[in-house]
Amino acid sequence: MIDSMRGRLRSGGLDFVLSVVVAIVALLVALIFVIAAGVSFTSGASAFVDGAFGTQLNIAGTLAKMVPLTLVALGWIVVFKAGRFHVGFPGQILIGGLLVSVVALKIDLPAGLHLPLVLIAGIVGGALYADIAAWLWARRGVNEILSTLLLNLVAVQILAWWVRGPFHDHSSPLPLTPPLPNTSRWPELLKNTDLHWDIVLVPLAAIVIAFLLSRTLAGFRMRLVGSGERVARQAGVSPRATGAGAIILSGGLAGLAGASLVVAGTTPQMGEDFGANYGFTGIAVALLARNSPLAAVPAALLFAALEQGGQTMEGTVGISSSLVDFIQGLMIVLVLAATTILYIARRRAAGSRTPRVPAPAAPERQLEPSP
Amino acid sequence: MAGDAERQSASPEPALRLVGITKRFPGVLANDDVSLDVRQGEVLGLLGENGAGKSTLMNVVYGLYRADAGEMFVDGKQVDIRSPQQALQLGIGMVHQHFMLVPDMTVAENVAMAPSALPGLVRLGDVEREVGELCQRFGLDVDPRSTVQDLTVGARQRVEIIKLLYRGADLLILDEPTAALTPTEWHELSRFIRGLADQGRSVIFITHKLDELFGLVDRCTVLRDARVVGTVDIAGTDKPELARMMVGREVTLRVERPIVDPGGPVLEVEGLQVSDDEGRVILEGLDFDVRSGEVFGVAGVAGNGQTQLVEALIGLRPIDAGEVRLDGKPLKKLNPRTFTDAGGAIVPEDRHREGVALDLSVLDNLMMKEFARGKYAKRGVIDFDAARERSEKVVRDYDVKTPGVNVPVRLLSGGNQQKLVLARELSRDPRLVIAFQPTRGLDVGAIEFVYGELNDKKQAGGAILLISFELDEIFSMADRFAVMVDGRFLRVLEGGDADLETVGMLMGGAEHAA
Repeated sequence: MIDSMRGRLRSGGLDFVLSVVVAIVALLVALIFVIAAGVSFTSGASAFVDGAFGTQLNIAGTLAKMVPLTLVALGWIVVFKAGRFHVGFPGQILIGGLLVSVVALKIDLPAGLHLPLVLIAGIVGGALYADIAAWLWARRGVNEILSTLLLNLVAVQILAWWVRGPFHDHSSPLPLTPPLPNTSRWPELLKNTDLHWDIVLVPLAAIVIAFLLSRTLAGFRMRLVGSGERVARQAGVSPRATGAGAIILSGGLAGLAGASLVVAGTTPQMGEDFGANYGFTGIAVALLARNSPLAAVPAALLFAALEQGGQTMEGTVGISSSLVDFIQGLMIVLVLAATTILYIARRRAAGSRTPRVPAPAAPERQLEPSP
Repeated sequence: MAGDAERQSASPEPALRLVGITKRFPGVLANDDVSLDVRQGEVLGLLGENGAGKSTLMNVVYGLYRADAGEMFVDGKQVDIRSPQQALQLGIGMVHQHFMLVPDMTVAENVAMAPSALPGLVRLGDVEREVGELCQRFGLDVDPRSTVQDLTVGARQRVEIIKLLYRGADLLILDEPTAALTPTEWHELSRFIRGLADQGRSVIFITHKLDELFGLVDRCTVLRDARVVGTVDIAGTDKPELARMMVGREVTLRVERPIVDPGGPVLEVEGLQVSDDEGRVILEGLDFDVRSGEVFGVAGVAGNGQTQLVEALIGLRPIDAGEVRLDGKPLKKLNPRTFTDAGGAIVPEDRHREGVALDLSVLDNLMMKEFARGKYAKRGVIDFDAARERSEKVVRDYDVKTPGVNVPVRLLSGGNQQKLVLARELSRDPRLVIAFQPTRGLDVGAIEFVYGELNDKKQAGGAILLISFELDEIFSMADRFAVMVDGRFLRVLEGGDADLETVGMLMGGAEHAA
């Protein structure tokens, strides 16, 4: 019993160390570029730390950015555990926001009811949009990576039309909706900053998803399907239903992220590009967190700080904020490389235990159509 | 192509000679000091059970595997083949069990896809003409301009062979080419292979079906347990002798088979009809029953419908017609959950992919069927205290060696993984246990454990359906057994009075064995 706990801690600890090392290495490599750009180490680093955590305003900005990043990361973790991948978060964020704008502008309710309904609208919007990809995959065998990638483009166009057409604020020349009423918005946590009460979603969602995956039957089904479709089928768990469910749930999480971006943002109106890069950066967060729901929180904090600090750094010491994209990209590459190396090392260590069955020389009958 | 006559009259050197080929995989000796030769213009049969090492040997010849020891000679010259391309340059071509053709291209286009020194310089017209000539010469009825997907399975196979002939293969290796053929197609193919040999090409014909050898091959080399048992002239032998050579080792592991007076039927199968994924009927009207207190064996070579039978019984494959009853109750809406609910247990064939989820914990693996059926949970939340208590008890009862119930199953040895599967299935106290190749890849100790558990279950009044490709296993365990060939049970025999020769011949598809 104690042995097993120790084993678990050890493997979890290794994952943690790996992620920390990857983050540090990425930051050090970034520093080389900072110094190469003629900025001293100290002023570069302090500009960055200042930008991310220096002032109340900057801390608030960092924390606010954590919310969508965490939610998207959790969405990725859910599908990943169920053995599926999808990259539809940007589109699901946008469609979640679209439904939010409908409920916020067309329904009149007191504050205590309006916001919950808005959040539900966001979740439903994201889930419905993910449902298209889930259905295409489960019923038609369409690869969910491809369908979601394309659906992202569709969502961008829908939003562009939305804020210019049916929901355009005619008093403004910009593609924006009218201001959403205060009853529909998250209240501010810190006055005159970006930080709203939606920050509570970060620990809450992480705990809920961690609980779902480790403690519930639904989570067990996802993990079982994710660890092997054939064994899941033998046990009586449908890989299709479970996989589709996971895709839809992750869409719901992305939709909730979209709701936060719309009703906890800086401006009271909804534009067409509020999703920014969160849909893809969230995946990077999940990768750095090594697909652990709880580790997604610190990983999201790091990425949020990079975004926030990078923006400020550009203003103060004149280093392009694209350095942040560089660091993020580097972290993804390093995580993947480290994971692979770790995997190979583990296999070598366990090598004698699982004899490798000789691979069949001929490919399976992929080329042959059914007669 | 003008050199055929020359070639025939040329050196008396064999087309291919293998000397002492040895190939080891981790934990498995696939070829042990194998020597054989193929003469010019000869069809050599390569006979052996599944896992005897036939395919490995041919993959060595074809450059897909490297032998650990041994030498190869082509036309008398020593060679070291490192890739299929190189094999082809030496005139060796192989047709795999699964076709490698692009279905929506024409025959000529498929043939023209040969790797050539100057790509893009092949004229399709030339290819079509040459393919036409080849077809004419070897008596093949295939139009070079027809699309591959419109062809029958038999014709596609001939296209594969044409492809190799076009690329200049003198020695053709056919790896169990008859698996998907109808009798008529088989007849055509066999005539075609003879024609190749008559024109000076050499052929290695891999099979485990005795019937196919007569009238086709000149000599036959028999492999068993990675070694060559012998090479015989087909004219001077008969089926019983070949059967004995193929399966006739002394039974290595004998377990005491407890004799129990069988009770009433537990599993009843009536007129079971099942198709494969492509809609071909695989099982056509299968009838049998398994009684309480008996092990009913299904012997036979892999690929004769065993997988589809098991999948249909546990509810993973739709039943086209017929009825399955468990304890007298018809199994309606059969799926793995209702099968489990009705008292069924399954020890699947592929332990790593079907038996256990390697990345999940011992607890998850032991409890997966309970969780899948919503047991050990309240309102969707798993009761981990109860689940842990139960899995720790099962681990103790079945002596699964594990550091704890939370470690991933991947860290357990193969024998312990199989123990875990048995523990999960038997601890539910099922009425029927379907065991499909339950000792595959296990060492002797683990095999004894599996046999012991199954026999205990039988003595406790359970019904056991044992499907195995190992005759030893059937002989050791089964009270009655059937021999399965082409989706049918050829005959049901009593476990005590079966002899190896008869069964070997039945497995080889010789229906009217003595």
